[in-house]
Amino acid sequence: MVNLTIDGKQITTSKTSTIYEAAKENDIYIPVLCYAKKLLPYGACRVCLVEVEQMKGRLIPSCTTPVTEGMVVTTMSDEIKKVRKTVLEFLLVNHVVDCPVCDKGGECDLQDLTYEYEVVTSRFEGEKFDLPKDEANPFIERNMNRCVLCGKCVRVCDEVVGYGSYSFINRGFETKIATAFDRGLDCEFCGQCVSMCPVGALLPRPFKFKARPWQLKEVNSVCGYCGNGCTVTLGVKDNEVQTIRFNDETGVNDGNLCIRGRFGYSYVNSNKRLTKPLVRRDGVLKEASWDEAIQTAVQGFKDAGEQVGIISGARLTNEELFLVKNLSKALGTENLDHSGGECYKGVTEGLLETLGVRASTATFPLVEKANAILAIRSDFYETHPVFGMVVNQAIRRNEAKLSIIADKFGKLSKLPNARTLLHKPGLELNVLNALCHVIVEEGLAKTEGLNGLDELKAALKEYSAETVAELVGGDADAIKQTARELAGAENAAIMLAYGLPYTAYSKELAIAAANLALLTGIAGRQGSGLYLCGEKANSQGAIDLAILPGGKGMGAQQMLAAAGSGELKALYLVGEDPLVSYPNRSLVEKALEKSFLVVQDIFLSPSAQMADVVFPAASFAEKAGTFTNAERRIQQLHVGIKSPGEAKTDFAILQLLLKELGTSAPATPAEAFKSLAAETPGYEMVSLDMVGPQGYVWGGDNLEPELKQLVPVAGAQPLADKYQLLVGSALYHSGTLSTHAKGPNAAVAAPYIELGREDAAELQLVNDDMLKLKTVEGEIQAKVKVDRRLPKGVFFTPYHFAELELNKIYSGQPAIAVEPVKV
Amino acid sequence: MSQVPQLLFKNRRPGETVFIDGYRATGGYQPLEKAFREMTPVELRELVKSSNLRGRGGAGFPTGVKWTFFPADAPGPKYLVCNCDEMEPGTYKDGELLMADPHQLVEGMIVSAYALQTDVGYIFIRYAYEKQAEYLRRAIAEAKEAGYIGKNILGSGFDFELHVHGSAGRYILGEETALLNGLEGQRPNPRLKPPFPATRGLFGQPTTVNNVETIANIPHIISGGAEWFRDLALTPEGSGTKLFGLSGHLNCTECFELPVGIRLGEVVETYGQGVWKNRKFKACLPGGASTPYLTEEHMDVALDFMSLEKVGSRFGTAGVTVFDDQTCMVAATLNLIQFFARESCGWCTPCRDGLSMVRWLLEKFETGKGSPEHLDMLKDQLQNISGNSFCALAEGAMGPVAGLLTHFEQEIIDHIEKGRCPFKS
Ligand SMILES: Cc1cc2nc3c(=O)[nH]c(=O)nc-3n(C[C@H](O)[C@H](O)[C@H](O)COP(=O)(O)O)c2cc1C
Ligand code: SF4
Ligand code: SF4
Ligand code: SF4
Ligand code: SF4
Ligand code: FES
Repeated sequence: MVNLTIDGKQITTSKTSTIYEAAKENDIYIPVLCYAKKLLPYGACRVCLVEVEQMKGRLIPSCTTPVTEGMVVTTMSDEIKKVRKTVLEFLLVNHVVDCPVCDKGGECDLQDLTYEYEVVTSRFEGEKFDLPKDEANPFIERNMNRCVLCGKCVRVCDEVVGYGSYSFINRGFETKIATAFDRGLDCEFCGQCVSMCPVGALLPRPFKFKARPWQLKEVNSVCGYCGNGCTVTLGVKDNEVQTIRFNDETGVNDGNLCIRGRFGYSYVNSNKRLTKPLVRRDGVLKEASWDEAIQTAVQGFKDAGEQVGIISGARLTNEELFLVKNLSKALGTENLDHSGGECYKGVTEGLLETLGVRASTATFPLVEKANAILAIRSDFYETHPVFGMVVNQAIRRNEAKLSIIADKFGKLSKLPNARTLLHKPGLELNVLNALCHVIVEEGLAKTEGLNGLDELKAALKEYSAETVAELVGGDADAIKQTARELAGAENAAIMLAYGLPYTAYSKELAIAAANLALLTGIAGRQGSGLYLCGEKANSQGAIDLAILPGGKGMGAQQMLAAAGSGELKALYLVGEDPLVSYPNRSLVEKALEKSFLVVQDIFLSPSAQMADVVFPAASFAEKAGTFTNAERRIQQLHVGIKSPGEAKTDFAILQLLLKELGTSAPATPAEAFKSLAAETPGYEMVSLDMVGPQGYVWGGDNLEPELKQLVPVAGAQPLADKYQLLVGSALYHSGTLSTHAKGPNAAVAAPYIELGREDAAELQLVNDDMLKLKTVEGEIQAKVKVDRRLPKGVFFTPYHFAELELNKIYSGQPAIAVEPVKV
Repeated sequence: MSQVPQLLFKNRRPGETVFIDGYRATGGYQPLEKAFREMTPVELRELVKSSNLRGRGGAGFPTGVKWTFFPADAPGPKYLVCNCDEMEPGTYKDGELLMADPHQLVEGMIVSAYALQTDVGYIFIRYAYEKQAEYLRRAIAEAKEAGYIGKNILGSGFDFELHVHGSAGRYILGEETALLNGLEGQRPNPRLKPPFPATRGLFGQPTTVNNVETIANIPHIISGGAEWFRDLALTPEGSGTKLFGLSGHLNCTECFELPVGIRLGEVVETYGQGVWKNRKFKACLPGGASTPYLTEEHMDVALDFMSLEKVGSRFGTAGVTVFDDQTCMVAATLNLIQFFARESCGWCTPCRDGLSMVRWLLEKFETGKGSPEHLDMLKDQLQNISGNSFCALAEGAMGPVAGLLTHFEQEIIDHIEKGRCPFKS
């Protein structure tokens, strides 16, 4: 600790603080422009200059100068005021000052400071900038005439996002911010730069001329897309979400978002939303009253007797999931599951066998301090972008060593010094086994308290780094290096993403990852962690609440098969669109066709179009309740807007169903939380008032495994086929939901098939050619995207798009053997 | 004139460059042999410290003190970087030194690296110094051949490799942390200090940056000793000789090696052979374009760090640029500011935008459109810019402006009152 005096006030602060931080902690105001809490010290604007008695003769930038013992600081004097004022004058000389038409007006730091320092007239004359605007993309407008060159956009895109879109170009007075070759912006469109810009130089285009900042009501909620669980602050006006506001005070994401969270909100306001219940009459879906719809549904369920199945989505709140569970009880069925059948179930089963817990063992912020990180699956950044940004920060600030077990290159592979352990499709397990093998062989394992070590050792014999490298087409030394780093690191993280497009070997993968986490001591050690990251906003909640088949009940795949064969009579799909997103389309189609089908969704999805009853549901922006993110953080959603038309929250719909069935239901989500907490392991002690702005992590920062059981898993064999298709996620989308949002759709609007340059040359394909992929099961076709991230013979397609009908050929296999035909 | 001791220019002959044989013939590489065979790195660092050698790159920081900050014993890669960017107007001494005798720098780099225990050295050289770079490369190859560079030098167990790296050719690249960014292939913005390069420099590793002339002095200090070196100077606190690059309105504009502390008058009269065209001396920049002007009244000032600071200027790089009495000092200052404003890296507001405002004000005066308010504004800028910028470029740029206001304010007022430049008819 260091003692100093600021404006006569005695202050004690950490020795790593800067003068500015020390002042801020003590509510002493110093203006800043280029400073940002989450970025490295910079010191360029010179607005924050102060006087330090020990450094007389010049003014000292408070944002970069570390505190020292006995320092005496003055934050305001005539000279300081004059210098700050001049800096503002300098900035205004060339600035366009078009505040009346600038969306930043009212919350612009330059405007505010100009006002504060009463810079009435500029004594200087100079040419106003007249640079062309960059409107090449639909998300971000760049107007460099308003730029004050604080460098925040450059820094955040590099230091946090790890993309590196921007740089300064030119010198002196002509200095400006530009992209490579000064072209239009083309990037991840996460909007971090927009959120950092202190002026109106970078603005969200969808928000243009929508509202003045002070007209917006701000509502903190949780992003409805992925399991990262970012706080999104809705900017609401006229019962519409107009924009997502910057907020680095709440939640776990430090104000960072990805394109989905920042620009993917518009589906909420879509005019294609369902606004009335629908009931099928004479073969056609017709609008109906809630009474009629509820009665029809309940009648259908009753007619089916016990032959009912419920498949829920993982975007429902915990409270809604609790009612789903209650409903299954009321209907007397144990056929209950959520998303993707084998995938989620497999992962949780695997973990239960090895660690005895079914969740990540540590929290996201800990990863920033990790020394070694292993990501399993190249799509990890794509499925959980903001967590990926934490990984980037660990690398840049701590020189963390990142390895990725990957079948193709993704964003993570591009981070500094990242080591990609490339393997042929479907062989993640083999690489994980090889890592375990190296650790055991080299005596690096932390074996204390582990069960099953001998069996594992015996089973790992065939998985030497050399053997595996040979089989998977990788590099043995790289595997060894990664193993040593993970075993030797003080703090380390292993991250595994799961979701609908990754159903193969899911149980085995969870076990292999757990084995590695046990051998390295990562599972359960303070500061380290094994991270299981579910695809959807409340995937973890669904696992915690056990939205899973009970007793003799069927899982999703079994239910669909049973419905197809007539064994199950009725299906209730709550926020799930299996026809598009589940493997094995013909199976799903048959199931939906044959059963009495009730679908609850916010859009008339392809599955809903086959339903007998459709309930119009509410989006995340319209509900209260809680989500549990992939690090076990329970966070509260708040109502931002009213649902369109007669649409109701899933909570309200489930209440109606329960009432119609003659069962009681909790009156409010808050009441439901009380009840669910009481019966959900880990939640017993949690009450809603403990779920504050930073949420509440059940089980604590470090979740102790209940078991330490090593379980041998066999690796896989590569496919011999020349061309293999990988199914996965694209950065711009999440599930099928985002395909209804303008933002993500503007980035990637249609399905595509990605392939490497060599294959493209060989098959004589260029971007946007139509390519057909044939299998014995059927065929799909989409436009070609040529890239550098895929190995030869490997194709990739994202699974989000209904029109691709991917599940005609995808039935959950790790890679699909295909025959490419140019159309 | 001939009794002035010549160390750095010992081998200098018009139009000639000395390579390894010629260099050895006058004692070259003997200091290196001595250092490697008889001295420990610690002793070398102590020697340099007691020699009082001050940096020749402009800031004049005591080299030995800088070297004591260097974690010579830390494990891992460490770097020694030689700053040969030399882009300041009026400064050309490093170029002259390398044209004449490149091995001096090579030997200096090797012994300095040994003193600091750095395993890799870079000579970062101005883009226009193509010939010098070529000579350096040849000298390095010769030194390698002779076993002075490479593995286990002279059986000492010390390894050293030395590279020449061409600068992209911008003034800011001479600022040592911008230089490091440039060497790394980044945009050459200066870096935030702390951390200083000694802690986190090139590629994040401990690094020392020194000027060409600074490093070239080291072998001479090894052979002559600290006391001898100190005594070379004419002022009690000074030490060594200095390369003075003369330019401007003198009869002789060449580079001379002269003792530190020599009188300005002697430099102008004896070496510069007086002001050209029989005109009178009006002013000079004593140490390159970023030092405040001296005038006729300063003829007896000793050219050394302390004495120049006392009269409100700086020793800088000892590039002496002289202006005759028909020079318009407003125009001369404007010319300098145009350079600095253009070369500002654009990072911080006072320099990027402030210097162009100073340029705008000087243009006003020079074109006869200035007013007394403009004069007040110019005075204001001295306070607003100097000392408030991110690196020393802006501060240096304001040096001549400060000199203009101290010594030639009347000339600005003349411009304002006449509504034109009084030196133009
Ligand atoms: C804008 C600017 C330009 C500079 N240019 C040079 C240069 O060309 N050569 C040089 O040796 N030092 C230059 N310096 C000084 C260096 O930053 C640094 O102080 C010097 O290289 C240290 O070496 P020395 O201690 O041996 O003098 C410059 C400084 C600034 C602020
Ligand atoms: S939107 Fe994101 S990726 Fe694109 S430039 Fe801004 S910060 Fe970088
Ligand atoms: S665009 Fe905005 S964030 Fe980027 S440098 Fe300019 S003012 Fe700063
Ligand atoms: S989609 Fe995921 S990563 Fe992106 S903003 Fe939402 S919660 Fe965060
Ligand atoms: S003073 Fe500022 S703008 Fe000027 S060169 Fe230094 S860092 Fe760049
Ligand atoms: S906020 Fe400190 S220099 Fe910009």
